[in-house]
Amino acid sequence: MDTIRSIIEIASVFVLPLLIVGFPLYGLIKKVPVYEEFVEGAKGGFKVAVTIIPYLVAILFAIGMFRASGAMDFMVDGLRPILGWFGIPPEVLPMMIMRPLTGSGSAAIVLDMINQFGEDSILVKMVATMFGSTETTFYVIAVYFGAVNIKKTRHAVPAGLLADIVAMITAVFVVRWLFG
Amino acid sequence: MLNYIWAGLIVLSLVFGMVYDINDLASDTYRNGQAFEVQVDPLDATSASSRRIPVRVHVDPAAFNAFYGVEANPDSTYDGVVIRNQEGMQLRFAQDASVPEPWATIRAETSERDNDLRGTLAGWSPSGGPAAVSFREVRFVKMRAIAAAALSMAELAVELALGLIGVLALWMGLLQIAEKAGIIHSVVRVTQPILRPLFPDIPKGHPAMGMIVLNLTANMLGLGNAATPLGIKAMEELQTLNEDKETATDSMVMLLAMNTASVQLVPPVLLVALMGLQINQLIFAIIIVTGISLIVAVAAAKLLSKTKRFRASAPAATTEG
Repeated sequence: MDTIRSIIEIASVFVLPLLIVGFPLYGLIKKVPVYEEFVEGAKGGFKVAVTIIPYLVAILFAIGMFRASGAMDFMVDGLRPILGWFGIPPEVLPMMIMRPLTGSGSAAIVLDMINQFGEDSILVKMVATMFGSTETTFYVIAVYFGAVNIKKTRHAVPAGLLADIVAMITAVFVVRWLFG
Repeated sequence: MLNYIWAGLIVLSLVFGMVYDINDLASDTYRNGQAFEVQVDPLDATSASSRRIPVRVHVDPAAFNAFYGVEANPDSTYDGVVIRNQEGMQLRFAQDASVPEPWATIRAETSERDNDLRGTLAGWSPSGGPAAVSFREVRFVKMRAIAAAALSMAELAVELALGLIGVLALWMGLLQIAEKAGIIHSVVRVTQPILRPLFPDIPKGHPAMGMIVLNLTANMLGLGNAATPLGIKAMEELQTLNEDKETATDSMVMLLAMNTASVQLVPPVLLVALMGLQINQLIFAIIIVTGISLIVAVAAAKLLSKTKRFRASAPAATTEG
């Protein structure tokens, strides 16, 4: 287990520099005009960033309003008893609702719970696992689809959310199994 | 689906904001216009004649709870100053003092910049003694909050998007070289057999597959900054295969689902920063959970694309299959 982990850790350090140096180097060997091609490709970066702005604004302002209105707290209170039936501690509920919506918001929850319960607590381990094993689904949708101007997302939202829900619930039980 | 969720978020926030505000008005949460009795003593007697008197404010917790109808736990003393001018006396609590609700909200609403709670003081003599403090009236807290949130998040969205430009440009430049040098093509050849079943509508040898592989690899190694431009590039390649430029193809949804499930062998930097060394214990848990969620995401994307509803909405290019 430890060797695998250190291999992965070392790989993650080297991949980036290797790619950044390796691509132009290999291009040079293949007689590609590397500088010209780099600049040509890099031009696209600005265009993509500008293209995703309207999609990000749409998603983020709606989520911001929802959070500010207190609707989030209401949802947490309403869902509390239902979670009890499944043996999920209610303290992790804000995380489950926030995670797909906002990355910074859910990081704030992890921080808040560390302050409240301490790093060692099983609740913190649960929310940290949730945070580490899922993505900010709506942000990913806005950025990836926004970049190519896709407006009709079809089954992307249900598929993404289903994976999120399963991940959150699994996180509770895996952490309880490993540390409980 | 996204249409309903989006509209739902906006409409619900208005409804909830109104319910909260009307509830505040009905129960007079902030006791608008009523004065609360506190004991205010100057820190030293010599300052009694000056314009600015440093004071200590004594708050009786029981009286506080009875007055506001809450079960808060106010500190019994606060530091502050009394400012005297023609209009009368103003009591200012120390900046960032840990005041309980509803004072915290009153402070946030009435003194945004300095973050000190301010109220007018009546019936106080500079030698010290009881006095009545009343705060500015506070109404429609949530209505103001949702409007402010909408504006500030719109700003944040632009900041986030523009913040991506540099990294996007770097990666798209590198990828352009990789494509011209034939690297993407080699990646495609090697990985095609494994990923082909998940993306059946990508033609053999198409660069889209190479970009997808690079995106998933970057994700796996926790390189979020690199994964995003690679994913966007993959989307662009998939878009070239798409007949209807506004509608997602099955492959696009599959790639998105795999990204939202976030296959991660290395935890994200932010989490490492938050958790410190504790993260080592969690890596195993994260790998298990992320693996399960990946399986669910792939299965969900695959199965949902077969349902009648989503097959009907598929762009023409992907309907056979």
